Amino acid sequence: MITKNIYIVPLFLAVFSVIVIAVALQLDTSPEMIVGDSMQARSFPIFLMVLNLILIVVLTFQLSKSNPKSTPLEKFPTWGSILLFLLFYLLTVYTDMFIGIFLVMFLLCRLWGEKRVWVSLLTASITPGLIFLLFDFVLKIRFPRGLLMNIYYG
Amino acid sequence: MFEQAITAMASVMVDPHLLGLIFVTTILGVIIGVLPGLGATTGAALLLPFTLTMDPVHAIAVLATIYVSATFAGSITAILINAPGTSAAAATTFDGYPLAQKGEAGRALGVAVVASTVGGIFSVLILCFAAPMLARVAYEFRSPEYFALTVFGLSMLASISAGGAVKNLMGGIFGVWLSTIGAERVTGIERFMFGNYELYEGLHFVPIFIGLFAISELLVQSKTVDKIIKTVAMKAVKLPTKEDYKKIWKTILRSCGIGTFIGVLPAEGATVASMIGYSEARRWSKNKEEFGKGSIEGIAGAEAANNAATGGAMVPTMVLGIPGSGTTAIILVGLMVHGLRPGVYLFTEQVEKVYQIFGSMFVANVMFMLMGLYAAKLFARVSLVPTAILWPIVFALSVIGAYAFQGQLLDVWLALIFGVIGFFARRHGFSVAPIAVGLILGEMVETNLQHSLKMFDGAWWMILTQPLALMFLVFAFLGLCGPAIYSWITKQKN
Repeated sequence: MITKNIYIVPLFLAVFSVIVIAVALQLDTSPEMIVGDSMQARSFPIFLMVLNLILIVVLTFQLSKSNPKSTPLEKFPTWGSILLFLLFYLLTVYTDMFIGIFLVMFLLCRLWGEKRVWVSLLTASITPGLIFLLFDFVLKIRFPRGLLMNIYYG
Repeated sequence: MFEQAITAMASVMVDPHLLGLIFVTTILGVIIGVLPGLGATTGAALLLPFTLTMDPVHAIAVLATIYVSATFAGSITAILINAPGTSAAAATTFDGYPLAQKGEAGRALGVAVVASTVGGIFSVLILCFAAPMLARVAYEFRSPEYFALTVFGLSMLASISAGGAVKNLMGGIFGVWLSTIGAERVTGIERFMFGNYELYEGLHFVPIFIGLFAISELLVQSKTVDKIIKTVAMKAVKLPTKEDYKKIWKTILRSCGIGTFIGVLPAEGATVASMIGYSEARRWSKNKEEFGKGSIEGIAGAEAANNAATGGAMVPTMVLGIPGSGTTAIILVGLMVHGLRPGVYLFTEQVEKVYQIFGSMFVANVMFMLMGLYAAKLFARVSLVPTAILWPIVFALSVIGAYAFQGQLLDVWLALIFGVIGFFARRHGFSVAPIAVGLILGEMVETNLQHSLKMFDGAWWMILTQPLALMFLVFAFLGLCGPAIYSWITKQKN
């Protein structure tokens, strides 16, 4: 029975490899006249995942020999940052990319320990502003439409 | 050829636009190298989208300048705050920081600047001679040789700087698998797209690299928010004295050779080079007892080697399309994005551009030397920028950069997803560089294997009958199994 969480990684990777093989087996096959003596589209990914499974066995063996300490869980700033990425996705999809960047930058500053609100606000507003000017005027790149970009582009 | 090379390289010196660009990028590269966590790879990944609208030579010059200047700048923080700005400068801390603590920070930086410059220039010169010669050899390559070469490149991932051999190989395989997403090139069969037609052309390197290198680093750095940095006082950067030069010139030359050679090996980079450069400096030194306590030979050995590796790593990147490190993987993407196909074609049809890029690297080496000598103290202060301000800025640059590549929001989501994947990979001891190299080499491996199978009517073993292909496959086997076989033989003997 697996009792140590150091084996979670090999287990996860093994499950991933098996899923990839299962999906690859569902892929269409090409007629012989196109493929000829070469490989089907599914062959290469399956070959890779079989190799991966072999390496997972080696890794598990190594882990059982070396018995490493399990990695401690991260503190709040790390998980909070990942959650802020999710917030960025929602804000970009439902409002505007630059609103998302502004809010996430502001919250990231605060989350990472910046105590002065005005510094966080300044960082969150000046940086995207400057990057926007550079990309819009110099590099001529159009940003996705949203609440702010609709006003800007008309 | 020689005349053409000199003319092209000289044209860099008379192009004020390019010189200005290299100057600005050198400052940026030094800042990136000095900032904790931001290395040459992250810097190049962040800057790649900004180069999209540039002339190809200017774009690659920017990326190459970031590479050489950030690699050098890592030594500034390694010496002054015992925190290498880049992993390549890790060996510099062994003697750089102890020397700085003795009140000789300026001397330590002076030695680092001189050794880095000599290493960088030496490797550019080797690059100028070796790359065209290797290109002529590569002219003979067909699919079996390219297949074997990419297998060799992937096998070298086993010894890439961080992570264990098995984990690195698994990372490489994951990267190669990522390259299979999208429509298969020969048959057009859709693989792992799950109905998302924006992935038909496959995953683009730029957003994936931004995610793997920049965003994952952001998450890694989020664990160090409480870290307090203390700098060592420094009056001025001093050039090494005559006695110092007498003591270190042999070490610098040796490390130049080591660094360039290590850099040329596919998937090996500046970090490995600096470690070997340092240990060789110690092995050959008459003052071994000084090592670890502030030896200038130790600093010179590590610094000359890591900068020499930058030019060396450009050889397989430009000639064979096989990146020597994470940063050269990004430079390779830059070449592809700008229509400069790495390989023989580049050295026959666009040779002028190649030498302009080499010339830019030469100029960048001279510029970072001047900056290292006259502004290191100032740049060291940049490392004190609070992480709470720096990393949110990296976030903004990353998402906008990922979007700017193709004007697709999907690329932004991919960058964020791969940032989180990269973070968890690193959390569990996997390095992200093998994933990036695997992603680049994946298409090459599969396509050349397909072509080889067609060539030999499905008889894969015929690949082994090609002398060059066999040689690369033997190298790959030795690279993978050599250490295990060696330790088994040693065990049997004992």
